[in-house]
Amino acid sequence: MSENRQNQRETAQFEALLLPILPKAYGTAYHLTHSRDDAEDLIQEASLQAYRAFHTFQTGTNFQAWFFKILINLFRNHCRKRKREPEIAILDDAPDLYLYTQTAQTGLQKSHSNPVEVVLERMNEAHIRCAIAALPDEYQIVCILYFINELAYQEIADMVGVPVGTVRSRLHRGRKILQKSLWHVAEEEHLLPITKKLSYEGNPV
Amino acid sequence: MNQQERIITCEETFRRLEDYVDREISAEEMERVRQHLAACEGCAHEFHFQEQTLQALRNRLQRIAMPATLLSRISQALAQE
Repeated sequence: MSENRQNQRETAQFEALLLPILPKAYGTAYHLTHSRDDAEDLIQEASLQAYRAFHTFQTGTNFQAWFFKILINLFRNHCRKRKREPEIAILDDAPDLYLYTQTAQTGLQKSHSNPVEVVLERMNEAHIRCAIAALPDEYQIVCILYFINELAYQEIADMVGVPVGTVRSRLHRGRKILQKSLWHVAEEEHLLPITKKLSYEGNPV
Repeated sequence: MNQQERIITCEETFRRLEDYVDREISAEEMERVRQHLAACEGCAHEFHFQEQTLQALRNRLQRIAMPATLLSRISQALAQE
């Protein structure tokens, strides 16, 4: 077989593996970079790097995990180069069940069967982006892999290159912070449905 | 294991909340939590709310459409390699 035909075959094999995972890879890149242009650039760069290293990929193993490792490493390099925008306040902690408490206190649990969904539907991409940006970078990575790709903790650990216990703690803490930051954005942007304010026990304040 | 050993408190149940909603605990632990939730309306409400919240977040974050041109852009870049 000529070298050209061999290359064409490898490219076709690579694209056949890449195509099914591309939408989720793009979704992950978008939420990590907070920009459609940066997400496209990140995916293209990851694809090129993966293609160049395709000879090291073992057929029959998990292509998605292999590709996402490359994607995450590239994103981390990108993080090191960029300076975080000063107006983004990084939250470092939040109590348990933050949205549960807030929606109970504001009466949303009484007036809506799925109050969080109601609030999220009122948020646009910029609001969501702002809420995610309140997470420290390594927490963003773990949470976005979880929400976009619906992976098990071990799969995330393999992609991110940290022990599964680290994934567990970052994910649990990150989800708490995300709940708090989403609520803050919704409050600041006046996106919360108007209800009669209630005490935690459900009585009018 | 007898019935007495399987009963867990609200606090012990709550400590398993995140792992339970992600199915990241053993089948035995899942069953212990399930039994507690079946008997405790307060915990069941909190757990249901947390599951609903995570699903709502998942649905909202996954709603990002990939640009139609991305694949051709990648193919062109690969062809130049």
